[in-house]
Amino acid sequence: METAANRVASLPVTPPLLELSNVEVVYDRVFLAIKGVSLRIGKGQMIALLGGNGAGKSTTLKAVSGLLAPERGLVTRGEIRFQGADMLALAPPARVASGLVHVLEGRRIFEHLTPEANLLAAYPLRGSRKRYQELRERVLTYFPRLGERARTKAGYLSGGEQQMLAIGRALMTEPELIMLDEPSLGLSPLLVQEIFAIIGEINREQGVGVLLVEQNAAAALEVVDHAYLLENGQVVMTGEAAVLRENPDVQEFYLGGAERVDYLNVKHYRRRKRWLA
Amino acid sequence: MDIAFLIELTINGALTGLMYGLVALGIVLIYKSSGVPNLAQGAMVMIAAYLVWMVAGWLGAPVVVALLVAVLGMFLFGMLTERVLLRRMVGQPIIMVVMLTLGLESLLRGLGPGLLGAAPKSLDLGIDMMPIIVGDVFINREYLIGGAIGALMIGLALFFFRTRLGTKLLAVSDDHVSSWSVGISVERAVAVSWGLAGVAAVAAGVMWGSVQGVDWSLTTLLFPAVAVVILGGLDSIHGVLVAGLVVGILGSVVPGYVDPLVGGGTRDVVTSLIILLTILFRPHGIFGREEIERV
Repeated sequence: METAANRVASLPVTPPLLELSNVEVVYDRVFLAIKGVSLRIGKGQMIALLGGNGAGKSTTLKAVSGLLAPERGLVTRGEIRFQGADMLALAPPARVASGLVHVLEGRRIFEHLTPEANLLAAYPLRGSRKRYQELRERVLTYFPRLGERARTKAGYLSGGEQQMLAIGRALMTEPELIMLDEPSLGLSPLLVQEIFAIIGEINREQGVGVLLVEQNAAAALEVVDHAYLLENGQVVMTGEAAVLRENPDVQEFYLGGAERVDYLNVKHYRRRKRWLA
Repeated sequence: MDIAFLIELTINGALTGLMYGLVALGIVLIYKSSGVPNLAQGAMVMIAAYLVWMVAGWLGAPVVVALLVAVLGMFLFGMLTERVLLRRMVGQPIIMVVMLTLGLESLLRGLGPGLLGAAPKSLDLGIDMMPIIVGDVFINREYLIGGAIGALMIGLALFFFRTRLGTKLLAVSDDHVSSWSVGISVERAVAVSWGLAGVAAVAAGVMWGSVQGVDWSLTTLLFPAVAVVILGGLDSIHGVLVAGLVVGILGSVVPGYVDPLVGGGTRDVVTSLIILLTILFRPHGIFGREEIERV
């Protein structure tokens, strides 16, 4: 007779989209930036990586996309697997070809090129012209504003438009996973809402996995399924977004606190209760 | 004043300028995709000319074959330079990179004549030595063909930067890390630009080699070429065309009238003044890109 346990065991084991196990990154051979971070994203999942300044969020993304080298960073321990393949063995362009793309902090669009040329630059050399047109159309449906400004140099676009272009450019690589580093940086709350909503649409409609790095935890927890809290280079908490939103510690540290305590006590409280002893 | 003399100086100057453009094009191609000002371009032009001479003059192969060999050889030479020398310099201060290309320039300048003999070799492309005569104006056929090739190569370069590969090279010059992040192989893009600069060096080397013979003095073309790229803007192909014409025409008309009075050498003075005045009054050149500042 078939038991429940049997049924579970016989399910095909698909590797997660992205899996980091015990990843450790050292800058300049001395500075330990992340200390054994483990996280996983399933196919089509949308998760957030939250934390304050210097928590190691960007470093984690760069470890995945392979962009540590220009900053003299190195993954010294651990494993990064994307769809089962070992990413640490690949150069950055090969990682993009395998289906993951990193939207850098501060947008980093190609300022002296037009938005159109920005999209073209990200499209693979060997891809067909027809596919390029399809992808371009898709990007313009999500971000119609880019079409209106297709002929100005991208450096002259507004901050919001530049962020849209950065995301659109990343979509031209046909990713399975898109990693966004602080897309809300320097944007008005209304614009943040708009961009997060579009990211959510892309996630649902295209089945693209999303790893969202944010300091703006309140906005991020509204759109993701699941989140990790990073502090001092370590994952200190993980859970469903809905659960984390209700967690009093998360509210206190990342969401600005539900009720204001008087400042003397806040200071005392913070000193007494830390994430890490 | 003899108007025919002025027209002749202007036309020949314009054609010479387009031929300077051939040398300048190599510098711009590399700068546009990796931000490195390649001071070895003059030596690459010389090496390319020696290569054509070796295959055509020495081995007696047809000029077309020699050109094909040189194009292939110089493309590989450019790629190899990037692979062996430049790639190690990633992340180093730009002054180190400039010094490196200057060192390469001196090395090649010594190596070419050192191995093949210092006497100038003549490179005969089969161009008629009789000038074309239009009214009272004499036009040198070699310069005419050289100028046409210069214009053609500039056109090709303009077209190239509209293609997918060209766009990727432009992206690389804008932001290396960002290029990596969307899957562009920065190393390969820079290598390709050096290869293309090698190909441009063949066009320049053949035409200048035919005009003035093949020897170390071809490397001195670096000087007018630098004037062209500074005036036109280090990263502008349009700039090569316009500044090439300006440098060429001024470098021909001014000496045409002043040289008889002062006994010669005005051309270099004009070229130097162009470099100095551009840097003082318009450091980015006519078409060079400026830092974008959003209001």
